[in-house]
Amino acid sequence: MQSKCKMAAPIKKTVELFYDVVSPYSWFAFEVLCRYENIWNLDLKMKPFFLGGIMKAADNTPPAMVPNRGQYMRKDLQRLAKYFNVPLNEPKDPAEMMFVKGSLKTQRFITAVDMKLPSKTRDVTREMWHRNWSRAGLKAGLTEEQIATFLQDMSDSRVKDRLKQYTEEALGYKAFGSPTIMAHVDGNGKPELVFGSDRFPVLAQLLGKEWLGPTPPGESKL
Amino acid sequence: MAAPIKKTVELFYDVVSPYSWFAFEVLCRYENIWNLDLKMKPFFLGGIMKAAGNTPPAMVPNRGQYMRKDLQRLAKYFNVPLNEPKDPAEMMFVKGSLKTQRFITAVDMKLPSKTRDVTREMWHRNWSRDEDITEPNSLKEAGLKAGLTEEQIATFLQDMSDSRVKDRLKQYTEEALGYKAFGSPTIMAHVDGNGKPELVFGSDRFPVLAQLLGKEWLGPTPPGESKL
Repeated sequence: MQSKCKMAAPIKKTVELFYDVVSPYSWFAFEVLCRYENIWNLDLKMKPFFLGGIMKAADNTPPAMVPNRGQYMRKDLQRLAKYFNVPLNEPKDPAEMMFVKGSLKTQRFITAVDMKLPSKTRDVTREMWHRNWSRAGLKAGLTEEQIATFLQDMSDSRVKDRLKQYTEEALGYKAFGSPTIMAHVDGNGKPELVFGSDRFPVLAQLLGKEWLGPTPPGESKL
Repeated sequence: MAAPIKKTVELFYDVVSPYSWFAFEVLCRYENIWNLDLKMKPFFLGGIMKAAGNTPPAMVPNRGQYMRKDLQRLAKYFNVPLNEPKDPAEMMFVKGSLKTQRFITAVDMKLPSKTRDVTREMWHRNWSRDEDITEPNSLKEAGLKAGLTEEQIATFLQDMSDSRVKDRLKQYTEEALGYKAFGSPTIMAHVDGNGKPELVFGSDRFPVLAQLLGKEWLGPTPPGESKL
């Protein structure tokens, strides 16, 4: 009698991405993690949170509030858009978009989607970035009926609470900005916090994986 | 055949800044590989922060806590022997780096061939061995380790109080502000001989800097170049 030797599937490492679409750097982190999900065999969990709440609780301020830094960011984002191959374009009035209009409603909408139709969370998220940080908008593929539901859900306390919950979870991890990446490198241990879109070589080391640059072969989701 | 034209890269730095140490070592490693005319420009980060309306990242508690881990990981990634001092806040915010940067400036004005060695020794003191970098005796020890003679050290210790040295430090600081700097390290890449140089901030934009210079990024420890 032959014995079958079944090879167990390698255990996926969980990586949580806490993000707010008001943050352009979070778009880079979002796309890179999506590109690496299969390459690094990740269990990638999207965690939309509210950056305004993080900034307030962590007593932080957006980098663009420092004039020279805000000016530098405009160039930095252009260069990184090219480096990461993400179609980011600066809006006419970034300050208005980020600081006046904000992202609370948007993050609540994404939360509403995530709670009832999580298979669409990434598409909706990406579409939001395309709207506020790019010119061309793609359709996220929701039906009119679904959109109506989510627009209604946004005002529901369960959605507001879920957004608050993820924001507080990130604060529990000592977050101070977006993107906040929590890498569960050791199944049983404390996850590692990695901040920003410029620590992927470090994240790779923590996960015991190889960094193949921002556009690894074979993975393109835009 | 004419030698290929070197591209000028200026590194504005203050040894109080640990991230600037990573940038310093990487640029030194890449000087020949990228055929750079690498110019060291010691400036005063305290002056930059004040003029630019900026605050050190560690002032945000969660961020300060994160930085401790970030620096450990980057030390490994960059292969730089950085170790956190027992009291980084005291070193960075109480003692500061004005005297140290003036000493480095004094060296740079009379013995520029020794600027890098003295600079590196300062980082080894405050961001590796948890040793002081502000007292005259500390500066003397650093100078000796860097290969200066006792006589040279005595000159530089005296020059530190000279208005020409103070002015030179102020001048480099203001030059960086003229470039719209807001922190350290501030890397000015003269990518186009005649045009405006490009500002690159931090130690995490080397792939971008490579693209701007039309060069290839071979990682933090490129083959053949090790200066530690």
